[in-house]
Amino acid sequence: MNVSFKNVTKSFGSSVVVDDLTLSTEDGEFVVLLGPSGCGKTTTLRMLAGLEDVTSGDILIGAERINNIPTQARDIAMVFQSYALYPHMTIAENIAYPLRVRKTARAEIERRVKQVATMLEIDKLLSRRPRDLSGGERQRVALARAIVRSPKVYLMDEPLSNLDARLRVQMRGELKRLQHELGTTTVYVTHDQAEAMTLAHRVAVMRAGRLQQFDTPMNIYNRPANRFVAEFVGSPSMNFIEGRFRAAERVFTSGNLALPLPDAQIERMNNHERVTLGIRPEHVHVSTMVRDCWTPATVYVTELMGNETFVFLRLPGGEKIIARAGADFRAELEMPAWVRFEMERAAFFDAESGEAINRNPEPR
Amino acid sequence: MRKRILSSGNERALPFLLIAPTIAVLVALSIYPLIYAVKVSLQAESSAGTRWTFQNFSRLFADDFFLSALAHTLVYAVIALTFEFLLGLGLAVLLNRQMRGRSFFRAALLVPMMLPPVVVGVVWRLMLNPNFGAINGTLQGFGANTESLTWTAKPSLAFASVIMVDIWQWTPFIFLILLAGLQAIPEEPYEAALIDGSSPWQTFRHVTLPLLKPAILIALLLRTMDLLRVFDQIFILTEGGPGSATETISLYIYRTAFRFGDFGYAAAMSFVLLLLTNIISLLYIRLLQKQEAG
Amino acid sequence: MKNGGWGSGAGGWGLKYGLAGLAVLSALLPVYWMMTISLKKEVDQFAVPPKWFAFSPTLAHYRDAFVERSFGQYLLTSAIVAVVSTICAIVLGTLAAYALARFRLPHKLNMRLALWILSTRMFPPIVTAVPLFLLMSDVRLLDTRPALIIVYTAFNLPFVVWMMRGFFQEIPRELEEAARVDGDSRLGALRRVILPLVTPGLAATAVFCLIISWNEFLFALTLTQTDAAMTLPVGIAGRVTQYEIEWGVMSAAGVVAMIPILVFALAVQRYLVRGLSLGAVKG
Repeated sequence: MNVSFKNVTKSFGSSVVVDDLTLSTEDGEFVVLLGPSGCGKTTTLRMLAGLEDVTSGDILIGAERINNIPTQARDIAMVFQSYALYPHMTIAENIAYPLRVRKTARAEIERRVKQVATMLEIDKLLSRRPRDLSGGERQRVALARAIVRSPKVYLMDEPLSNLDARLRVQMRGELKRLQHELGTTTVYVTHDQAEAMTLAHRVAVMRAGRLQQFDTPMNIYNRPANRFVAEFVGSPSMNFIEGRFRAAERVFTSGNLALPLPDAQIERMNNHERVTLGIRPEHVHVSTMVRDCWTPATVYVTELMGNETFVFLRLPGGEKIIARAGADFRAELEMPAWVRFEMERAAFFDAESGEAINRNPEPR
Repeated sequence: MRKRILSSGNERALPFLLIAPTIAVLVALSIYPLIYAVKVSLQAESSAGTRWTFQNFSRLFADDFFLSALAHTLVYAVIALTFEFLLGLGLAVLLNRQMRGRSFFRAALLVPMMLPPVVVGVVWRLMLNPNFGAINGTLQGFGANTESLTWTAKPSLAFASVIMVDIWQWTPFIFLILLAGLQAIPEEPYEAALIDGSSPWQTFRHVTLPLLKPAILIALLLRTMDLLRVFDQIFILTEGGPGSATETISLYIYRTAFRFGDFGYAAAMSFVLLLLTNIISLLYIRLLQKQEAG
Repeated sequence: MKNGGWGSGAGGWGLKYGLAGLAVLSALLPVYWMMTISLKKEVDQFAVPPKWFAFSPTLAHYRDAFVERSFGQYLLTSAIVAVVSTICAIVLGTLAAYALARFRLPHKLNMRLALWILSTRMFPPIVTAVPLFLLMSDVRLLDTRPALIIVYTAFNLPFVVWMMRGFFQEIPRELEEAARVDGDSRLGALRRVILPLVTPGLAATAVFCLIISWNEFLFALTLTQTDAAMTLPVGIAGRVTQYEIEWGVMSAAGVVAMIPILVFALAVQRYLVRGLSLGAVKG
């Protein structure tokens, strides 16, 4: 079953929390709603669940409009951020609850519970209570409760955010495999862009209630639709330099900086004059040795990550940028350095609207 | 797909269905009697039959019994409240420290407050009996002359006695609430005050009391409401006597209605009492609203 | 370092226990005195100086009160009225509390209704007792147990609503949302998920209602006239006539009236402050 939002708007009184959202998933797709706090992603999920009313617009599961169908009849399953396990029931009873409520036969309930518990490796915990379990175990119980039926859609509200960093990375992988095995459409909410990038078939980036871009993770990363998306996705974040495009000289200038552009970029610039240059740290090369055509800069601070080094630099005009360098890059604070920008990989954004100007054509 | 029939329309009605019975009972037994009382208070019986009149209300200002009942109630409330507050606060501060057997002390101090007020009346009639009550008896045992200590028979002594009984019974109320309030105060402000060099008294004044303010206000407001409408234990102890020396408003209303049968006048007086307690309860509700918001 | 360092040190220790002990003594001594009166022969009751310990006990007064006279019946009435009115108040009040705690009503009705319900509890009893007396005699329900049950239910309802509302609010909303997503109806979720979690609070509230109903005096006094419907407090008060007071019987009845309440009160100690302040102070 796929999920569609058609011009869905949600307001609380006079404040609009979700603004004219139109979005359609494929059947079996893992879709992630990504954005900062307050962007409307959780509200969108709750409208899909029926826990919030829709102010205007339609939500469909498959071909059926579900706006007026109460939550318990929507045949969905949800994993809450706090897991929402029933504290007075055992793990087995927790997992069995959705089946019990649908008056499934006891034998069938036992079979399904055991099956699901084994799949998630919590079968040894079935007779315990939620308060005896660790965070990771509780999370798996919440998952088990969601998959014990075969609902049309899975909804997940930041299920990994209460886990410690290491466990989170581990569970990310497990979740991806699980969804692949089950093949059910999943709508997943998070503010963590790394989760979105690793888990999703497609990511919907939201900001202040509006959908910014709905695309595959690679396209979001390589061809961001606007400056917000470019800045939000990718860690460390993309570098931005304000400046002008000089068509006659075929360069991008900003203060004393003048960067020549390759032909392919110039073709797509379309007469825009005031633009913002966006370039990812991995496309900024830095060296401590003098290089002829490279731009001079000063080292602000370096961060040794072990497998690579992040170099924070100050350009002559005062802008701060980040470059990724090899693990053995060494420099002192305030040392001079030279940087080269891979202009073929740069993105340009209109200085006022933030919209991307020269996105590369879609890869085949 | 089951239960498609349960449209959101039905769900919307559910909360009202759940609340309706409660509202119905309260309207029938709290609001309707009030309206009925208004009607009764505006009527008067005479040889010509019943007629509508304000005379029940105008009588109030000239009625000495009413005015003294009012005065008794207010004096009673102020004195009792003051002592209950000071004692309650002292006890709360006392028991807030680390001490063994604190739960025993707390449980024991509960007792006067939980007793049926009628039983409190009995207990203290026994204690205060001029002839063989425990107090006079013990004093006599020490050789004192207790002839003049007729606790419930002399007007001034009787008034003091009923106040004392109230203090005995209800100090634990304030004590409990303030103790809970004290225990809810975290350690950090105290530690900061110590580091700043504050003396125990200064800490009490500038750290403890301000943080305790919400609990104090709640305790005082609740207690004031109860003091204004006091009835039960005075009824048993002195029945408002001797004469009407200890008659509070509630007792005078009772006497007017059920001894004299003058329901109209009793109803009119009730509204004065209601007005008085309304002001207090409005303050309480405003406080509660602030608590809920904060 | 509670209280910012008051009374620490050895001198403080003695003072602390001394004062606490004094307070406890003042609280318990009068009650103890009443208990002794109930067990003393008439001769001992009037002894001067008073006999605190040295007397031979007798159960005559208890027998007198409960077997010979109608105190047994008063006891039964008190019990029936308290239990039935508590059940009614709990059922009605809990449902209303759930609705107020969980459903978002328009026009700020949640707060307004809750406060209106609370305000009915603020009326001085005498204000409604007088018209209720007239009303009850109009419908011929004066001096009956049902009349008391109805009145006590109304009396306890606001309390139940406010206490249970607080307890419901402490349960995370997500539990019910999970139950609804799992397929349960709202009432089903209430029954299977919420009520089991709120049971301790429910029990405490019920005990409070029992205590309040049992101790109540004014309504019982005005609405009952004969042994048919009198409760224990009224029966005790009736023994207080101008000139002849039967101390022994009155004390025996007083002791019996007191014991269940003290047991109940100890049982709900944990929720006592919350109950006393109608949910305003949690403790």
